[in-house]
Amino acid sequence: MSELIENLKNEIIEALNLEGMSPADIDENAALFNGGDPSVAGLGLDSIDALELIVLMERNYGIKLKNASEGKEIFRSVATMAEYISKNRTK
Amino acid sequence: MAVYIQSAAQISIQSPLCDDWFTDPILREERYFRSEEPDFKQYVDPMSARRMGRLLKRALASAKKALEGETATLDAIVTGTGLGCIETTEKFLLAMLKEGEQALPPSHFMQSTHNTIGSLIAQHLKCHGYNNTYTHRGTSFDCALQDVLMQFDLGALSSALVCANDEMTELYFQLFDQIGYWKKEDVKSEMFHNASSEGSFAGEVSATFLLERDRTEKSLCRLDGQVLMYQPDELRVREAIDELLRKGGIGWSDVDGVVCGYNAARSNDEVYARLMEALFPDVTQIYYKHLFGESFSASAMGYYVAALCLKRGEVPSHLVFKKGRTTTPKHILVYNHFQNKDHSVALLSC
Repeated sequence: MSELIENLKNEIIEALNLEGMSPADIDENAALFNGGDPSVAGLGLDSIDALELIVLMERNYGIKLKNASEGKEIFRSVATMAEYISKNRTK
Repeated sequence: MAVYIQSAAQISIQSPLCDDWFTDPILREERYFRSEEPDFKQYVDPMSARRMGRLLKRALASAKKALEGETATLDAIVTGTGLGCIETTEKFLLAMLKEGEQALPPSHFMQSTHNTIGSLIAQHLKCHGYNNTYTHRGTSFDCALQDVLMQFDLGALSSALVCANDEMTELYFQLFDQIGYWKKEDVKSEMFHNASSEGSFAGEVSATFLLERDRTEKSLCRLDGQVLMYQPDELRVREAIDELLRKGGIGWSDVDGVVCGYNAARSNDEVYARLMEALFPDVTQIYYKHLFGESFSASAMGYYVAALCLKRGEVPSHLVFKKGRTTTPKHILVYNHFQNKDHSVALLSC
């Protein structure tokens, strides 16, 4: 799992063009989205980033999200993403 | 109705976001050179900038630079761009090829339209006014400017940003190269004075002008008017210039200089040479594409050159293509044509 988390962090940095960030800067348990509330720690991603993450999961792991309501939990943090990927990946 | 160019800013193959090119130009010999980038962090928050392609960052930075110190409400943003965000478009299309039209990155898709540029500037400046984009190859900026001037005439605007934005990717450079758009060898300055072959050299331009109805101390110059023409003969050009001179309240002998888009390509330069010989044989001709290269947005730099010459009351020697009678510039015409089809001429005065 730790290898998957590390890979995922690198892929997120590349897909979202998070210049100047390294995997070590991303806490895998921190919130990816803060809903516009800057007091919530994390990356502070927005809805377009969510689309990029959906594309990333499909392209790199062969996962197609069918139920949009699952997204909120899956994309809560890098750790929840990794957990979902490990159970559902097709490549 | 005359309007005033309050300020201008550029990012190009010269030093960015400054007027160093006027006193200390960089002369390049390469056929292809990309823009000098400023420190974008001063103008765009890095978290916002991460999703922007290079051209968007340049457009936003030059717009913010042109507005530095301005407090007036902006009524409109009008953009001229020949190719739009071509670098992002290429990334999007290449991803389509690679992924078999599946799982495409949305950011590249969203930015692959021409009007992304104007809308992004409006978003960041919180300008909810008129926003339009003109895409007419080498006269894109001229058309954008015409729109703004007409709206000033109608009294619909009191201030507007007019922008020109074009980038040149390696792929596009190569495609243009195949149709003879560029010189086959390094560019020497003498090629501009004796264009014996076709082809120019490539540049990139992001230029922004702030236009306002009223003159202020800061104003660079007055823009008396502009005329667009399609395949004009000499008579039509004379009529257009007559119209502009009438608007400016001056005669032919009051014109102190004409800015022309000489670009070292024989067929392009012949048009300017023929017209200038017929219309303004004794007037100083000013050129600029030897500093900024050729691109669909290059004509905007002709306006920038004229505006700064008027503001500073001089035409530096490195901008003089052909020396005419010596005067302190008070009235300068800017003449641009694209492939001898679309022509534009404008009168700028101090």
